[in-house]
Amino acid sequence: MPLVSLEGVGKSFGANRVLSDINLSVESGEVVVVIGPSGSGKSTMCRCINRLETIDEGRILFEGRPLPAEGRELARMRARVGMVFQSFNLFAHRTILDNLTLGPVTVLGRKRSQAEERARELLERVGIADKADQLPRQLSGGQQQRAAIARALAMDPVLMLFDEPTSALDPEMISEVLDVMRALASSGMTMIVVTHEMGFARSAADRVAFMADGRIVETAPPATFFDAPTSERARDFLGRVLRH
Amino acid sequence: MSATPLVLADPPGPRGRRRILYGSLVALAVFAGLLALALTRLADKGQLDGELWRVFLDQPELRTLLWKGLLATLRAAATGMVLAVALGLLLALGRMSKRRVLRWAATTAVELLRSLPVLMLILFAYLGLPALGWQVSTFWALVIGLTAYNGAVLSEIFRAGVRSIDRGQTEAAAALGLRPLQVFRLVQLPQAVRRMSPTLISQLVTLLKDTSLGFVIAYSELLRSGRGAVEFLGSRYALPIYTVMALMYIVTNGLLSLLARWLDQRQSRRLGTGRSTVALDAAAGSAAG
Repeated sequence: MPLVSLEGVGKSFGANRVLSDINLSVESGEVVVVIGPSGSGKSTMCRCINRLETIDEGRILFEGRPLPAEGRELARMRARVGMVFQSFNLFAHRTILDNLTLGPVTVLGRKRSQAEERARELLERVGIADKADQLPRQLSGGQQQRAAIARALAMDPVLMLFDEPTSALDPEMISEVLDVMRALASSGMTMIVVTHEMGFARSAADRVAFMADGRIVETAPPATFFDAPTSERARDFLGRVLRH
Repeated sequence: MSATPLVLADPPGPRGRRRILYGSLVALAVFAGLLALALTRLADKGQLDGELWRVFLDQPELRTLLWKGLLATLRAAATGMVLAVALGLLLALGRMSKRRVLRWAATTAVELLRSLPVLMLILFAYLGLPALGWQVSTFWALVIGLTAYNGAVLSEIFRAGVRSIDRGQTEAAAALGLRPLQVFRLVQLPQAVRRMSPTLISQLVTLLKDTSLGFVIAYSELLRSGRGAVEFLGSRYALPIYTVMALMYIVTNGLLSLLARWLDQRQSRRLGTGRSTVALDAAAGSAAG
């Protein structure tokens, strides 16, 4: 049984059709990287998986069950899925440590001391142990994004969603975030990553899904996809992004 | 809202600085002249006679009366603040609710309460509630009136604060599995309160001053006590007594603002050492004052 599967998912914003007939399933431990031109619906699809966006057609199954629509069940499902945003979205009024303990303490009901111990371990792992007592705005973009990844991991998720995690970063900070993600991928975490980083897709993905105009045009292992894309759209896209 | 030093214009050049200096000198001269004029006139009429102002020393009952008035004012204000903050939170939550009925009810309540004069609400509580078979003391009539009006205003302040917070904050909290109420309490409200704290404090100061409306329903707060004293002692004591009362209001409200600033600083310090924030520190703390 796949961990997540999207079956015939469609969505419109008014007259604007953003997702059409999306079919994708992700197995436990798999790393799927979603690429494609801007406005192809990649982010929207990613946000639908933990129901930050609702869908109009089809269905999404998580651990074999349809996504709950609301209430306690929805919150419980979201607690099992980590999400990393383009703009980090660390809680501005809380220290980094408190950002990491909020979820475990209030949602999972862990003891504060226990949650703090685990939070410090995770900060160590993403290389910012010394920032625990600082506020998000005191950190660089790359450090904030690593803290955001640690915050998601603090919930011990079974799936991690990355919504363009490096798009808001200065170029020199992109690699520090990608390194953390690469380490996470090789540790066996199930990941769905929406990104423009082709290097990451090639080296870390088990599968690449290429999206254009709200559809998944092509899905293939990275070596196949980058060396011999089957669709015209993908060839065109790769020709443009890989030329320089 | 970033604090820029340039709010209205470029920094002044040499000519501008000269003009500002002349302008300030003229304004100072005019102000000093008016003050001198007022004091001379008051002295001519014998209003500054030591005997008039010694009334506070000569009459211990007057001191007790004003002190009791101040306590009554503070009691009504503190109760009103706590209840208004609570009502404000409920109304704000109602207006932001996903349920249409709640939203509609809260919106109606806020619009209604906000558009009535506080005085009318107090009179309604005092005269209207007994007509409905519900006896209320003057204290509670005043507090209910103040709570109803200020709760509606505070709810709009809370709502504006919450709406000014980046949507990503809410999404991140929801993505962790927090329920909507937890998102409000732990992520939105603490940030909203800090962002809106100047507005919140000025509204609480307004509430404190509006306790003087208890006057009309014969609640013996500071203003009514003072006026009673003037009537008893004679109107020639009006100036000293009202001046002292004004000072009492000014000092009380000054202390309230200081308390708010202190709480804000303490909160910043605590943030620096890694403690979590307490949601309503500023507002609840002022209320306790």
